[in-house]
Amino acid sequence: MIEVREITKRFGRKEVLKGVSFTAEKGEITCLIGVNGVGKTTVMNAIMNLTPIQSGEILIDGQKINKRSYEKIMFIPDAITMLPQMTIQQAMQFMDDFYESWNEKRAKELLDFFKLEEGNKISNLSKGNTAKINLLLGLALDVDYLLMDEPFSGIDIFSREQIADVFTSHLVEDRGVIITTHEINDIEHLIDKVVILNDGTVVKSFYTEEVREKEGKSVIDVLREVHLQ
Amino acid sequence: MTNFFKLLRFELDRFFKLYIVLIVVTIVSQLAGLVIISKLYMRRAREEIVVNQNSMESFLETYGQFSLANLTHSLWFFGPIALCIVSLLIYVFFIWYRDWFGKNTFIYRLLMLPTERLNVYLAKAMTIFTMVLGLVSLQIVLIYLEMNLVRLLVPRDFRLDLTIHEVIRSFDYFNILIPDSFLGFLISYGTGLMAVFVLFTAILIERSYRLKGVFIGGLYVAASFFVFISPLILSEIFLPRFFYPIEMFLLEVFAGLIVMTGAIWLGYYLLNKKIRV
Repeated sequence: MIEVREITKRFGRKEVLKGVSFTAEKGEITCLIGVNGVGKTTVMNAIMNLTPIQSGEILIDGQKINKRSYEKIMFIPDAITMLPQMTIQQAMQFMDDFYESWNEKRAKELLDFFKLEEGNKISNLSKGNTAKINLLLGLALDVDYLLMDEPFSGIDIFSREQIADVFTSHLVEDRGVIITTHEINDIEHLIDKVVILNDGTVVKSFYTEEVREKEGKSVIDVLREVHLQ
Repeated sequence: MTNFFKLLRFELDRFFKLYIVLIVVTIVSQLAGLVIISKLYMRRAREEIVVNQNSMESFLETYGQFSLANLTHSLWFFGPIALCIVSLLIYVFFIWYRDWFGKNTFIYRLLMLPTERLNVYLAKAMTIFTMVLGLVSLQIVLIYLEMNLVRLLVPRDFRLDLTIHEVIRSFDYFNILIPDSFLGFLISYGTGLMAVFVLFTAILIERSYRLKGVFIGGLYVAASFFVFISPLILSEIFLPRFFYPIEMFLLEVFAGLIVMTGAIWLGYYLLNKKIRV
């Protein structure tokens, strides 16, 4: 389980996170939602120790993040994190060189799934294919948790559908996923839990099934309510 | 350790193309320079002796014998060396900043590797160090080549054969780049490596605290420099003629080790606790 406990974060004088707390379980897809600039990416970066926090604690399976944690949890940011001059094959080789959890078989499977060519240079890829490569490099690791920052941002409808299909496949099964997205329509039916961020705090956190069954509301309905308040 | 070497190989690969360009420019410039300078010298000799009917002795008295020192004092020789030094100095900054800026933010990948983040820092420093050693080695090999080439281009009577030590001494800054003793090597390259660590840590301070970090980083570099030269200040201002040379040397080594260890420790701390993508 990923536990985010009362984390605060300031950029200069601006307090971006004011005591954010939530948990994300293995086998569940947790969606962080909020308007632009609310601190979703900062939360992701903080979980991965890519930005320092002022106070609070983040635990992954009960432990603070350390070098071994990166074999257990992977972050897929919305920008490609491989060198532009690399080919897809070289990017995969890089992952294979450094990660024990790299699963070559799954990587090949994902290449076929996304219909990508190993010899293609990363700099020549379209926005949609870049997002797919990002996803491939994360999903091909045998990690327990995946963090995805805006995986649907700026990509065409067909690539979006293809990426959304990944969430219903065995590729994500049994893993804990934290995802941030504005394209809630694409994955609403896939999400288990929603954490709504506003003004640096968690304003609401709920299981989608509960809301659907007990209140008959969709995630968007709840979001609308929160924003109208 | 394995990850350190993997990172080192990776960083070396990233610099490889530019490195090859530097090597080719150095080789071409120095060898072409030697051919051109020696040809000019021999043409002048021919003009003086054959056309102007001067004796060889009077020519040699006026122009001196040709030696590799003629080359080492020319732009053909020190131009590419200066280019290599400037390129490597720029690369000390570029090796970090390119991972943050641009379309592809590779720093995410580096910081999320399942290895000590200090390995990234050390691999980058070792890349710079290896590059410097590689270029210096190339220069030594080139000097040997040039010594042999001079023998082919300039007749015995017109040339003065220098030993490698004499060639190195003929070019002022060579004593720093190619010291003539192991101790000299330790001093030159130890100081160089320390400077790289200090600059790396200053860059990480800037990357951690951004605008405020520019100021803090500047202060840190100044403080490191002050600590490094503190034995000199002590002996020059406060305790003149108090220390024996060997004591001064040991104090300087100690100060250098403090600065170097401090830079690595601070780099480790920043990478683990303060760095921002």
